[in-house]
Amino acid sequence: MTTLIRLEILRTLRNRRYLLFTIAYPALMYFFFIHAYDSTKLAGGLPVKTYFMVSMATFGAVGAVLTGSAQRISLERKSGWVRQLRLTALPGRAYTFGKIAASAVTTLPAILVVFAVGASQGVSLGAAQWIGLVAALWLGSFVFAALGVALGYAAAPDSVQTIVMIAYMLMSLFGGTWFPVSGSLEKFAQFNPVYLYNKLATFTQPGHSLDTVAVAGLAGFLAVFVAAAAVLYRRDTRQA
Amino acid sequence: MDTEVAAFRGVGKSYGRVRAVDGLDLVLRPGETVALLGPNGAGKSTSLDLLLGLREPDQGSVSLFGGSPREAIAAGRVGAMLQSGGLMADVKVRELVRLACDVHPRGRSVTGVLTDAGITELAERRVDKLSGGQEQRVRFALAIAGNSDLIVLDEPTTGMDVSVRQAFWASMRAQADAGRTVLFATHYLEEADSIADRVLVLHRGRLIADGSSAEIKARAGARRVAFELHDGDLSGAAGPFEDSVLRTLPGVQSLDVTARVPGVRTVRIRTADADASVAGLYRAGLYPRGLEVTGLGLEQAFLTITGEQDNQDAVKETVR
Repeated sequence: MTTLIRLEILRTLRNRRYLLFTIAYPALMYFFFIHAYDSTKLAGGLPVKTYFMVSMATFGAVGAVLTGSAQRISLERKSGWVRQLRLTALPGRAYTFGKIAASAVTTLPAILVVFAVGASQGVSLGAAQWIGLVAALWLGSFVFAALGVALGYAAAPDSVQTIVMIAYMLMSLFGGTWFPVSGSLEKFAQFNPVYLYNKLATFTQPGHSLDTVAVAGLAGFLAVFVAAAAVLYRRDTRQA
Repeated sequence: MDTEVAAFRGVGKSYGRVRAVDGLDLVLRPGETVALLGPNGAGKSTSLDLLLGLREPDQGSVSLFGGSPREAIAAGRVGAMLQSGGLMADVKVRELVRLACDVHPRGRSVTGVLTDAGITELAERRVDKLSGGQEQRVRFALAIAGNSDLIVLDEPTTGMDVSVRQAFWASMRAQADAGRTVLFATHYLEEADSIADRVLVLHRGRLIADGSSAEIKARAGARRVAFELHDGDLSGAAGPFEDSVLRTLPGVQSLDVTARVPGVRTVRIRTADADASVAGLYRAGLYPRGLEVTGLGLEQAFLTITGEQDNQDAVKETVR
């Protein structure tokens, strides 16, 4: 199983589209946002530079896992690679584990690159806060990895890209990725995993601890996505 | 001792109202090289899917090495190449083969597998940059990545050109010579004829013939008689020549007359009794030139057998 996981990671890192879309693009967007907004103000309870550093890191991480797992699973179901793997001694879940592991590894660069850019632009946090923030965002990305797996088993390759992009853009738009949500939008945002994901960063503010409501919400989404992925995976296995 | 590699017992499988496999009973024994023949839609791929546990039968049971297909695969006793078996993209051939060798409980060396599949020179190529025939050989490499007892190949030479196909047959024979049981589905009859020591003919989900290639040909029974008739030779015959004379010869099952050159007809007859047909030719006052009597190839035998089955089915339908 380790060979499969290693190969899954390797091929994702080799993919140029991945590098461009999930690493370079959010970093560039970050420059755009910190210059477009007044960086002396607060956004969503955080300094503008910190806020967008987090929102771009989550943007890259969510993009990495959604496109990585959903599209690949969907394509590989169609191409028959999933069937071919079922003819090996590997247990059926190895394939899904491989995808999630590859997702987990590939979100780290997406987070770290934007954080490095943020630090170079004057975001200053304590060492514990930096480490805590990386850990929180990295763990949070598993929620979306599970969603990616579910979508990959739910849709055919020609429709999965559209579904992923729509879900990704809507969640980002109303989840505070490009602008902090406020007012009535914020009420709906409580049911948006990307909004909750971005909320994980508020503990870096003086006087705040980790937002337990966001953590609980994300845990709920994780449970739902994992359950959906499991049901869809079994359906796929029966159809061969 | 294992005396049964694989067994289908009363296996049925339907997709909606289509009966893909209909009451299949079949046992494969160790060391056999078995070809599974059948027209498209005969149920070949479904049968292999059932054998490999990719699908569950609606009726009956499938066993591999006395256990379930999944158990046999987990124990590394089966290597398989699917027609619809995709390959992992964005990796090199060597990396993919190494994966297959690593996960196989009785995995072989990567170099050995690459050599046996004839893809050593492709090892550093990206899997997604291969031609169809090259992909087939990589799939074959995945099927032989371990010391399996049974190798299952679904349409292995599809997409290969003639010379590559010949080389591929040598690789298949090498697997059989190593003592493995080989089961392959194909629609190239030449492939079945030259490699298999047992041929199964599947038609509309049923096994309609099971035997050596020679037995299948004999079962079809018919022979082919071919000759030319020149108008100049017919002067002695009573009246102008009619095709109906040929049709009424004893034993004739089908008749094909072409006249590409004026005054020369090429006649091909399929007959259940070649001796009687030829004797009848001379009795009718005809003078056949370039007379040839040949046994049917496996291809014609196959068409005869499936055609007979269709006729029987049609009769049953009418009776109902």
